[in-house]
Amino acid sequence: MTATNEAGSYKLYWMIWGMLLALTVVMLFLDSAPMPRAAFVLVMVGVMLTKAFLIAGYFMHLRYEALFIRLSVFIGLLVNGAILYFLIIPDAYRILGMS
Amino acid sequence: MAEAAQQVMEDRWAGGTCPFDAGWRKVMMWTFIITDGLLFAGFLASYGYARIMSGGWPNQSEVFSIPMIALMTFILISSSATMASAVAAAQSGDRKGVSRFMLLTIVGGAIFLGMQVWEWSHLIHEGARLYANPWGDAAFGAYFFLITGFHGTHVLSGVLIIAIMALRWAKGSATAEGIEMTGLYWHFVDLVWVFVFTCFYLL
Repeated sequence: MTATNEAGSYKLYWMIWGMLLALTVVMLFLDSAPMPRAAFVLVMVGVMLTKAFLIAGYFMHLRYEALFIRLSVFIGLLVNGAILYFLIIPDAYRILGMS
Repeated sequence: MAEAAQQVMEDRWAGGTCPFDAGWRKVMMWTFIITDGLLFAGFLASYGYARIMSGGWPNQSEVFSIPMIALMTFILISSSATMASAVAAAQSGDRKGVSRFMLLTIVGGAIFLGMQVWEWSHLIHEGARLYANPWGDAAFGAYFFLITGFHGTHVLSGVLIIAIMALRWAKGSATAEGIEMTGLYWHFVDLVWVFVFTCFYLL
């Protein structure tokens, strides 16, 4: 960890822990709240990604790592995830339309 | 712009400088995490495909006990916080703190696994199989056992790795860097659960 002094405090970790728990409670609340499906999915994915960024950024110290590590993770996971999504989802809708 | 990029490339990659500004262990661990993450991304994308294709995907809240899954999530997030604290303790030279926080992480991981075993046995008792289930689309059971099973295996191996590292730390043969690598793996397991919890149990 290159920025131990910045990130290495217990207080920060327990603050992130509190935020993660609060976001989980928000998700559970939304799960039982009446709202349109599209909005529900959008909000849930947003909260999920926020939680992922908190864990990767602070618990895994990605926020403090060199640019090349951050880029490797970003390109490796997010871009490939997007490719998977854009390859699969249109096909799924196409097949659904055929039935 | 192109000249600036060229300059960065020369500065970083011309030799004598590590562009990642990290030891090889950390670079290798991140490489592993990225590739393992892609495996889970493939599983979840495949699950999404199957679900869109399905005409009768079961309503999760009727199959799972969401409060129990939420409790599992709480435990895993808490164990991630204790592991992060163990890493911080290792880097500040707090030997007892490392052992204490790692023990708490092991306990959290073990409780999570116990709850997952309970969930699996409960669903199997109700008729869930890899090839069929009483609630709807047959693929539901297959994806449930595949995704949660694969994640659970990661949790199990994580608990074992942390236990081994805790013993090595107690004997004085583990380094702060080793604890940090262990922590990276454990946080990755937590990170994957964030996606599994949302995509499989809530959406």
